[in-house]
Amino acid sequence: MNVVITPAMVGQVVISGLLAGALYSLVALGLALIFGVMRVINIAHGTILMLGAYTTFWSFHILGLNPYLSLLVSMPLMFLLGVLLQRTFVRRVVDAPELSSLLLTFGISIALVNMAQLAFTSDLRSVEFLTGAFLLGPFAFSKSRVISFAFAVTLSLFAFWFLQRTKLGKAIRATSQSREVAMVCGINVQRIHLYSFGIASALSAAGGSLVAVMVAIQPEMGQVYTFKSFLVIVLGGAGNYPGALLGGMLLGLVEQLSSLFLTTQVSEAVAYLLLVLVLLLRPTGLLGGRST
Amino acid sequence: MKRAFQVGLAVLLFGLALYPTMASGYGIRFMLQLFMWVALAQSWNLISGLTGYVSFGHVAFFGTGAYAAGILVTTHGWHWVPASLAGGVAAVILALLIGYPCLRLKGPYFAISMLGLNEVMRVLVSYFEGLTGGGSGLSFPTQPASVQIYYAMALSALAVTGAAYFIITSRFGLKFMTIREDEVAAEAMGIDTARYKLGAFVLSAFVPGVVGGLFARDTGYIEPISVFALIITITMIVMALFGGKGTVWGPVLGAVTLFVLQELVWARFLFFYQILFGAIIVVVVLLMPRGILGVLQQRYHLPRTI
Repeated sequence: MNVVITPAMVGQVVISGLLAGALYSLVALGLALIFGVMRVINIAHGTILMLGAYTTFWSFHILGLNPYLSLLVSMPLMFLLGVLLQRTFVRRVVDAPELSSLLLTFGISIALVNMAQLAFTSDLRSVEFLTGAFLLGPFAFSKSRVISFAFAVTLSLFAFWFLQRTKLGKAIRATSQSREVAMVCGINVQRIHLYSFGIASALSAAGGSLVAVMVAIQPEMGQVYTFKSFLVIVLGGAGNYPGALLGGMLLGLVEQLSSLFLTTQVSEAVAYLLLVLVLLLRPTGLLGGRST
Repeated sequence: MKRAFQVGLAVLLFGLALYPTMASGYGIRFMLQLFMWVALAQSWNLISGLTGYVSFGHVAFFGTGAYAAGILVTTHGWHWVPASLAGGVAAVILALLIGYPCLRLKGPYFAISMLGLNEVMRVLVSYFEGLTGGGSGLSFPTQPASVQIYYAMALSALAVTGAAYFIITSRFGLKFMTIREDEVAAEAMGIDTARYKLGAFVLSAFVPGVVGGLFARDTGYIEPISVFALIITITMIVMALFGGKGTVWGPVLGAVTLFVLQELVWARFLFFYQILFGAIIVVVVLLMPRGILGVLQQRYHLPRTI
């Protein structure tokens, strides 16, 4: 491919990268939260994103609900699902070796994906809303991406403010620093685990609702997001919440930039190469994190 | 007890060796697939059951082996036996490349990087069309060889089960299990954990590569979505867990039970049967971490090594 790369193209790609990156940040923040608080990598994180996307699809399709308003449906719904999963299953493996929690959430994810296959079939679905683009000088941005970006940034900042300022947020951070000390301070750690899993699932569902207007919805769409969220956590440093935000942006940029030179398919492989490189050169993440 | 078990095993192997002389074509194909699953579940057991490092992308080795063998057979005219062995070598090379960075770190990094590896391999294989035929796949020249493949699959299953037996009953295996139980303690005792983990990983990659090559020869046609399918990884994990991970006979037992059930009933209800796979994982992790073999051993006081 001998394509001439103009500055305008680079600008376009950088902006697309940031637009995509904000969504990665949002979803990855949820995964980072669960990992930070419980030391559990939730393989079903992307599956919950898929369920969030379906919530948006169905509420748009049947009720005609505005996809952005459907965040108000998908987030509480997935919060509840998260709480339920934590309460019935994940709670039992928090202190077990990693092998158990990885396998358990993997099992949950397989069961949920196939229930979705059974209930919704594997047909590709899409929410046709706000097609078209904003034009600004030499750049064009699809409207849905810009609005999703705005929502993702707002939600991430809100989640961040919540963790920093509110009493519950502080309790969550305290638990992720040291469970024993948090307990000694009178924090009900079990309850914090419930809330964390719920909030993380709500964030993932929000990501799902926001991508629903941009990509094809199908039961297996979530796995890629589990992987990418994990990649973001590795980039930002495990258990490091600001790191997750930065890592998401970085992943978005790298993917888009590599798509300048390669086909979109292969730019997925570039993200993978990035993971391997970071693991080799800077295993604690770019901002530094807790070792696992 | 142990004596009876050995005699039973010898009789069974003898019977299986003679089986193709009297079986129908369907019977042979059924058995060779059964052997394939035993080999795959047991290979997963070598890394994940023994060292505790969960591989969510073991099918990447299967697919790599299938494609390496496929390319050698179709464009270079190799015989399928050396081609399948070369498939195993290709899988080992991939395991070295990916295991070196990822195994130096702890569990989750390795687990998820394996989840991604499978996706990446599928994308790469689809992309390099000139070599792999891309999305339209690779077709093998027709040349029925079910009986030979039956023996090759049986040998693969036997080899990896034998390897599991020797590892589990040796000092070498104790080192793996120490890593699984407490990696820091293992290091403190002077075990070079990175080296042993890589060793276990490479060992567990070889047979899936070979079996992938045999599978490709047997079906006669491969494409990226058929040989890099996540369901293959899921199936081997479920089989090993269900039977009992970290044991010699658990994965064999799990593979036989689930494969027979799958052929008899479940395959007709595809998604339902995969929901059941998810449920089996959850139930095994929560209620019987040592699988059905563990339950049997406890109830009937069987020796650990069988």
